[in-house]
Amino acid sequence: MLQLERVREEKQLMRQSNTLRPYLNAVRATLTAALTLENFSSQVVERHNKPEIEAAASPEVLLHPLTVSRNESERVLIEPSVNSIRLSIAIKQADEIEKILCKKFTRFMMMRAEGFVILRRKPIAGYDISFLITNFHAESMLKHKLVDFIIQFMEDVDKEISEMKLSLNARARIVAESYLSTFA
Amino acid sequence: MSTPEAFQLSLGPLTGVAFGPDRTEVAISPNNNEVQIYKKAGETWDLQQTLSEHDKLITAISWAPQTNRIVTCSQDRNAYVWTHTAQGWKPALVLLRINRAATCVKWSPKEDKFAVGSGARTIAVCSFDEENNWWVSKHIKKPLRSTVLSIDWHPNNVLLAAGTAESKAYVFSAFIKNIDSKPEPTVWGERVPFGTICGEFSSPAGGWVHDVAFSPSGDILGFVAHDSSVNLVYPSSPGAPPQALISLRTSALPYLSLTFVSENTIVAAGHDCQPVLFSGDESGWAMSTSLDSKSAAGKPAAGGRVVSGSGGGPGRLNSDAFNAFKTADSRGQARPASSAGSASGGIEVGADGLLLTVHQNSITHIEAYEWGSGGSVSKVVTAGKDGRLVIWDVAGKK
Amino acid sequence: MAEYAFRKIDIDALDEDTLLREDLVEPDPRGPDGVLADAKRKSGEVRTAVAQNNIAGALAAILSDPPYGADVDEARALTISALQLILNSTRSSEIAATLKNLTPEQQDHLMSYLYKGMAGLGSKSGAGGEVSGSVLLTWHEKLTEVAGVGCIVRVMTDRRTL
Repeated sequence: MLQLERVREEKQLMRQSNTLRPYLNAVRATLTAALTLENFSSQVVERHNKPEIEAAASPEVLLHPLTVSRNESERVLIEPSVNSIRLSIAIKQADEIEKILCKKFTRFMMMRAEGFVILRRKPIAGYDISFLITNFHAESMLKHKLVDFIIQFMEDVDKEISEMKLSLNARARIVAESYLSTFA
Repeated sequence: MSTPEAFQLSLGPLTGVAFGPDRTEVAISPNNNEVQIYKKAGETWDLQQTLSEHDKLITAISWAPQTNRIVTCSQDRNAYVWTHTAQGWKPALVLLRINRAATCVKWSPKEDKFAVGSGARTIAVCSFDEENNWWVSKHIKKPLRSTVLSIDWHPNNVLLAAGTAESKAYVFSAFIKNIDSKPEPTVWGERVPFGTICGEFSSPAGGWVHDVAFSPSGDILGFVAHDSSVNLVYPSSPGAPPQALISLRTSALPYLSLTFVSENTIVAAGHDCQPVLFSGDESGWAMSTSLDSKSAAGKPAAGGRVVSGSGGGPGRLNSDAFNAFKTADSRGQARPASSAGSASGGIEVGADGLLLTVHQNSITHIEAYEWGSGGSVSKVVTAGKDGRLVIWDVAGKK
Repeated sequence: MAEYAFRKIDIDALDEDTLLREDLVEPDPRGPDGVLADAKRKSGEVRTAVAQNNIAGALAAILSDPPYGADVDEARALTISALQLILNSTRSSEIAATLKNLTPEQQDHLMSYLYKGMAGLGSKSGAGGEVSGSVLLTWHEKLTEVAGVGCIVRVMTDRRTL
């Protein structure tokens, strides 16, 4: 019975990774298109240079935000501007356990945002984790590597959470078995 | 096809690139507040002098070929004109009267004035005031409502093209009394007092106009915009709509810079990291070829497209033994978890993880570098955010 | 509280030279009524064309001069539902060939609608309810192959919200 449940879980994981590819491809293409940044000094505050997507002070340098979604719960929002883009990810959370795992995981990362350079300290409303990439990042790092990083992050975070969930279930199973075996 | 010559001048972006009169000297800014002057010595470029007067990022440099003067402008809202003396380059402050960053600067063809575009929704046209011995400016304000991203001079020394962040390209008159003699009428306009708008054109899908350029004759205006478009305007007569406005919606990433090679050819380059040749006439234009044929880049040819894969980054424990232990630990299984990874995308990446193009990041500047015997451009030079300066052969390319 | 409420006043909005979001778009020359009539006619055409299995014709019709701007919600909804019909009734093997026949402008518009559909998936209340995510992603992938990333850039830059 327990074995069956595990097989079902793993099968579900496999099926998802098949539809994951077009989703990640769409994110990759959109992100590549959005990562066309340049140095842009603020036209509102003199001698300042700030991410226009966060400042949102001049409408003409903000572009249309795009959403790539795989289903209702998994989606990516890319908000481009002249010198910065904000990318927010809604991670799949099928049940309460995944919700808790996801929250703990993203919180862990965001508390250490400096270490991740492009990570935003707070996700925007409706999403689990946000990145802020400015022209300075795109200048000091290779653009295609930045794209690779985000895509790999998206792959890993799903895998990580599913794995953690499997591990959690496995542990619960072991604990239950050893606990109940005393009554056998 | 000859191999393009590439020089790594800096590790960061090159902002503002300008060549000296004989093209053996180049002034660049390595993405900070200093201007570096390099001189070509055989196969390398040697640093000659560093000019530091600005206190914020330098956005553009222009070098006048006949009078041998350099003008630099910066995000600190200032511009300096540098003149060469026995002791080196000496700065003179320009009274720009702008209160936001200066974004672009260019000497006029006769080198008696220059124009500075700025984030203050203004173009400052500067000329030398003999009486006070300084550079003064006159402003073009209307109808600009956004940052001016690019400017270019018409060969007649009077008309000025500007591209702005409100997705428009303009042609203005920058006629200054006492300096300019009355210009010959052109297709753009006959009587042109200072500030007259001789043309106003929009990009097809609302992208910021990154660069504008007049053709050698001045009768065609080209501009590239952030909607990946390349646009060419053929004016008919003053006040009338243009006889042809050609907009190419390309499938590449946006272009940041363009230059005319001849009346029928332009080279554009930008976020795609490679210069591309376009050709055509008033009946239509088309992309003809990329100057960066990947095998000629002097790199080992990669065995097909290698996609940068997922998998263990440096410093990550990802050996079989580790995985076996990990699964055994967390799940009580003796089988390693399969590490599936699938990634693909529109960008070709070599086996070493670098792009197959010569430039590794966006190209921000392109200009003619060498002219052939007939006055036609034979070589162009590009500079990019990867700190490289690359010289490309365009002679004989159509 | 009151003594620093003045800090929140957007003084730049009072400058008459300020560029507003509305200024960046020129309104549709047809006017709201003309747009609605156009959309009604086209969605009728699409239904006949789809019934005759003429996908290419249907797609070209719906993607030329789509409604944009404010006050065209009804025309927009009509256009989107007609497009959804096309997206759902095209076989995946025919997508690539159909896309190649579109003009660059039509491809840009299609890309714009695909992103709109994907945005609607998340919000549930939006218009994308009838097309599944995988259908949209398949179209997106094929369209990117045909029209390149330039097409996506144009969706971002275009101020005429479809």
